[in-house]
Amino acid sequence: MPLAVLAAPEPVADEPTQGPPPAEPGQKPVGENTRRRSVAGHVVLAVLALFAIFPIYWMYATSVRAPEDVLDTSPLPWPLSFASYEYVWQVLPIGKLLVNTFVVAVCTSIAQLLVALLAAYAFAAWQFRGRGLLYLAVVGAWLVPFQVTMIPNYAFLNELGLLNALAGVVVPTVCSTMAVMLLRQHIQAFPRELLDAARMDGRTSWGTLWTVLVPNLRPALASLSILLFISAWNDYFWPALVLQRTDSVLQIGIRGFLSAEGDNWGAVMAASGIACLPIFVLYLVLQRQVMDAFVRSGLR
Amino acid sequence: MLVEIPEAQAVTEGRPARPSVTARLRGWLPPLAYLAPALLFLYLWTYRPLGQTFQLSFFNWNLLPTSPMTPAGTDNYTRVLGLPELGQAVWNTVVYILALLPFTVLIPAAVALLARRLPGRSRTLYQALIFAPTLVTPVAAAAVWRWLLDPSSGPVNKALTALGAEPLNFLRDPDVAIGAIILISGWSLLGFATLVISAGLAGINDDYPAAASLDGASRWQITRLITLPLLSPTVLFLVLTTTLLSVQITFPLIDILTQGGPDGATTNVYYLLWQYGFRNFDAGFAGAAGTVFFVGFGLVAALFVWLSNKLSFYDN
Repeated sequence: MPLAVLAAPEPVADEPTQGPPPAEPGQKPVGENTRRRSVAGHVVLAVLALFAIFPIYWMYATSVRAPEDVLDTSPLPWPLSFASYEYVWQVLPIGKLLVNTFVVAVCTSIAQLLVALLAAYAFAAWQFRGRGLLYLAVVGAWLVPFQVTMIPNYAFLNELGLLNALAGVVVPTVCSTMAVMLLRQHIQAFPRELLDAARMDGRTSWGTLWTVLVPNLRPALASLSILLFISAWNDYFWPALVLQRTDSVLQIGIRGFLSAEGDNWGAVMAASGIACLPIFVLYLVLQRQVMDAFVRSGLR
Repeated sequence: MLVEIPEAQAVTEGRPARPSVTARLRGWLPPLAYLAPALLFLYLWTYRPLGQTFQLSFFNWNLLPTSPMTPAGTDNYTRVLGLPELGQAVWNTVVYILALLPFTVLIPAAVALLARRLPGRSRTLYQALIFAPTLVTPVAAAAVWRWLLDPSSGPVNKALTALGAEPLNFLRDPDVAIGAIILISGWSLLGFATLVISAGLAGINDDYPAAASLDGASRWQITRLITLPLLSPTVLFLVLTTTLLSVQITFPLIDILTQGGPDGATTNVYYLLWQYGFRNFDAGFAGAAGTVFFVGFGLVAALFVWLSNKLSFYDN
């Protein structure tokens, strides 16, 4: 089955989508036909790339227009002005929003990674009665939508006193089904001889996990933590349920700003641009790893 | 495995078939200890609330811890099924799913097949650009598109006017609003789906198309009879994800841009649930609705798993 090949852990450098193009068996080396096909490919992909990137470009373009030019539709924003950013800085506690969102995303992704690593280790390295059933329970959680459980969860968070607290966004999301599934695949593909050798050396299972498995899984763990961080940063449901104050995290702060400022597009675009910026910077720096992480999450 | 393997061997060697209770407990203890945190959180935040939702559906309660829950029998279910907005919400949910499939399956498959023929560098660039919207946070995506689709000064309407068409109030016009939400969701999903299909394609063994080509198969025959069948597990996965998650993916956009309006034109089943739970503080009703929708989606998922086992074509 083709997916198994991709799902197996491999160094990030071997990212499947980026390799050399697969040999085209039916293709005659040169020819009018081939060139025409390749031109058609370029045209279609360029149109889609434009459709994908234009809204993002327009967001930043609007945000750096001078306030009187905001409604301008010239493709290049000129003269540049950072007035919108200054305004957002004064009106929104943007520093606090960024720090809070960052704290939530880091805590969420670390907790998810840790819990998933332990669970995946248990599923992949032991045979025990009820393993299949417990694994089904973990995978089945993926099918329970947020909206179905939100009212009891809201009441429970209220009981715990976690409503309107950042911890209230982190705690309910600690067990990530996707992370358990991905890590289990990686640990299963890990050579058993190495685990056995560690056991014969007299290492405990805990020691084996941290000194044998984790160092070898580093690329997979890195790519998964990127994915978990981005998902936590962009999560909308839990913050919307738990946090009512607009000075909590970016999602909620900017939603409030959007309804308060309405058509002040320069400011709204500047605020949105700031909310996306950390993820875009991450993407620019680690483009391969980010795409790789998302591909793996999609191939189960 | 670290503990179990010697015992497993012992059993096959014909010792008494069942190891003693303490030995079995010792075999169980380590994996269960590693599983404990995950299982605890799953129980607390997924399965217990799921049970509570089911329980709540038989009571009337306004979400206040101090106010009592009163038994309601099956009244809540009668109310859910008799709700006038329900028909529209279910219909819209179906529309969302069907209309998002081109963005998550058809266009990505076409794009991935076309991109195969391009040199690696430009292909990587295109994919990187098409993928970028996946990373935009939902609130920012909603904000940008509200600006692009603004009725008076948004660039889309300016372009429409320049082309001689009537400007549209995309998010307030009941005929267009659902299309706008679909377009925005599709925009953010397209790159991800393209990437997944490209990876699926890259995983197909090149020998099959090569052999077919030697036998004189045309390029289209190879795509239709070899590549697409081998791609079917990936495609089915994307269809299943779209079906199950499109209600959730559209949720933030609906919440921020239209609140289900105008006049219910963009609402879906979970948004309806959210409104009844938290706008009207009607926990019993939301519980009944949640149970009905959960069972509904569960049946659809089961049907899919059954279908995908029948239809998928594996390269064994």
